[in-house]
Amino acid sequence: MLAISIEALVKIALLMGGLMTGAAYFVLLERWIAAWVQDRKGPNRVGIPLTKIKLFGLGQPLADGLKFIFKEEATPGHVDKILFTLAPISILSAALAIFAVIPFGSVLPASFSEMIPGLDHQVELLVAPGIDIGMIYIFALSSIAVYGVILGGWASNNKYSLLGGLRSSAQLIAYELPMGLAIVGVVLTAGSLRLEDVIGLQASTGTWNAFAQPIGFLVFVVAAFAEAARLPFDLPEAEQELIGGYHTEYAGMRLIVYLIAEFLHMITASFLIVILFLGGWHFWGITGSENANITWFEAIARIVVLNIKIFGVIVFFMMIRWSWPRVRFDQLMSLAWKVMLPLGIVNLVAVATIVEYQKSLEGKLGGPWGVTAAMWGVSLLAWIAAGVLAPLHSDNSAQKDSFVLSAEARNRGVRPGVTTSI
Amino acid sequence: MQLLQALRVLGIEPLTALACVCFALGLWLLLPSTTARGKAFGLIFTTISLGLFATNLHLLSDWVSDAVFYVMASVTLVSAVGAVTMRSPVYCAIWFALTLLGTAGLFFFQGAQFLGVATVVVYAGAILVTMLFVLMLCNPEGHSLYDRVSWEAGISAGTGALLVFLLTWTTATTVFVDNTAFTDKTPAKDSKEPAPIVLTATAEQQNKNILAPRHVEKLGGELFSKYLIGVETAGTLLLVALVGAVAIIAHGKHAEAQAAAVRTSDGMTSGLNEEGRRNA
Repeated sequence: MLAISIEALVKIALLMGGLMTGAAYFVLLERWIAAWVQDRKGPNRVGIPLTKIKLFGLGQPLADGLKFIFKEEATPGHVDKILFTLAPISILSAALAIFAVIPFGSVLPASFSEMIPGLDHQVELLVAPGIDIGMIYIFALSSIAVYGVILGGWASNNKYSLLGGLRSSAQLIAYELPMGLAIVGVVLTAGSLRLEDVIGLQASTGTWNAFAQPIGFLVFVVAAFAEAARLPFDLPEAEQELIGGYHTEYAGMRLIVYLIAEFLHMITASFLIVILFLGGWHFWGITGSENANITWFEAIARIVVLNIKIFGVIVFFMMIRWSWPRVRFDQLMSLAWKVMLPLGIVNLVAVATIVEYQKSLEGKLGGPWGVTAAMWGVSLLAWIAAGVLAPLHSDNSAQKDSFVLSAEARNRGVRPGVTTSI
Repeated sequence: MQLLQALRVLGIEPLTALACVCFALGLWLLLPSTTARGKAFGLIFTTISLGLFATNLHLLSDWVSDAVFYVMASVTLVSAVGAVTMRSPVYCAIWFALTLLGTAGLFFFQGAQFLGVATVVVYAGAILVTMLFVLMLCNPEGHSLYDRVSWEAGISAGTGALLVFLLTWTTATTVFVDNTAFTDKTPAKDSKEPAPIVLTATAEQQNKNILAPRHVEKLGGELFSKYLIGVETAGTLLLVALVGAVAIIAHGKHAEAQAAAVRTSDGMTSGLNEEGRRNA
């Protein structure tokens, strides 16, 4: 009992330390990438204080953190004080609690457990192993995170904040559906809601879900961008339109709590993309697929592979941010409901059919490769259909009146869009 | 004394009855009203009733379970009282969200992981967020008085307390026994006491179903085999509601367009109409 508690506490400490440091340095990375994209130098001065050593600007996150701690925690007079403080707390705690079910490696070899007295099982690199509903848990907590945004926007008692909160809640509700549909496709193939099982299946077959379900992967990535409120879907906080959206009125530590929570959402999204669709810790030829007789080399290779993949996805997130313009809100909504949702349903139906008739299909289509090829065919068809049938999202002309006049009214000379005043 | 005896005959713990009375009184004092009724007294009364209810409960196997259960249960109950007594609807929604989290925690505590998480996803994540979405558009200070006080606070508090009392009474008079213990100790046939109603699953059943490591699979299997008709009916009901909503919106839009067309044509007298044509 004691050994298990200590094991859990050590894992939590490792994860929290890693995540917080990671979030701080990803901010620095984001600024470097921004500088590189915009052909300027970016933060490169802060090194060791009181010396002339610069260290490529690696001291910048520490300096930023100190600055935020010493900033005045200004609370405007017109806000709802309780909810104003509660909102950032709720969003950060939800963002951190998600990591209870996300594996940050695979397992440690049995020789490690033998070294530590009181440990009678292989150590899984996951804070809460044995939770059977990992993915729904993630869903539940990401829906709790919406509260932080809505409450922050409402409590600020400011029109920009309120609009940011409204936009955010509409966006999160809209994109949760395609995200769920894409996840259900993965759950169907894995037959389990545990993230470690999903990785295990991809490792044992050697086929990552991104190859087997391309359209599901696409839907999930787009929905993950929208859920993390990253460009091109950062409408809740669009600086040019809403100043800062729901955190316009925030300053000091409460602001940094919001910013950390946002970064954690992006890191969560990267973890999920890698785990659900890019094979998790699996890489052909290096990591092996057995858990029981894992060697130290394999165990460390799995952690390294997982982290490299996550790093790659985060860099992809950041590159997208500096290369895509923001979409308009009606484009965002029609993309969610008219394109992503139908594509998600197509993916789900195709996966369900294939899972149901797996054995007989493999006989007809020629093994797992045939099944994957069929999946790609379906995806391509759905992709073309979406392109042909979906509304044109690049249409930037002024909105016309949407209602259709009756023939009789038209005969009387009524024209839409003409306002008459006498 | 006679009252106490009467209560005993009915199988009612006097403490429970007192707790319910305190609860009704406290709730009545806490509900938002036009006059200052004394919120502090209301808080004291509800706290007393919570304590009295707690005295009725049994201790669990170890102190960790006790601590978890009592914390979760008090969070649920306190936030439920908060949800009905707050003046601002947004605060009511937040307290209600906390109630749901407490309920989910109690489900988790019992091993029903799926139910716990589903409560959060469905209620806190979907329904309550939609409610907040609407509530955000209203300004709490802008409400008129009749929106900010609860009308007939006495009746509602009394009804609530009565409901709690009936539930407690029912659970107190129902004897919970383990199935295995029950079979060992068959009640004598000539005893006048009614046979205890068995409501709990045996330890064996629990281990096989709810505490099994793969219990979501089992749950899904049960839902889509034994309870298939129920699931499908619920799904169809939601679909019907959805179709109804769409129909109302579509009809509304159509009527609006018609009205707008009529308005525009009425606004244009024949002369203006001619002029409009000439301009065009």
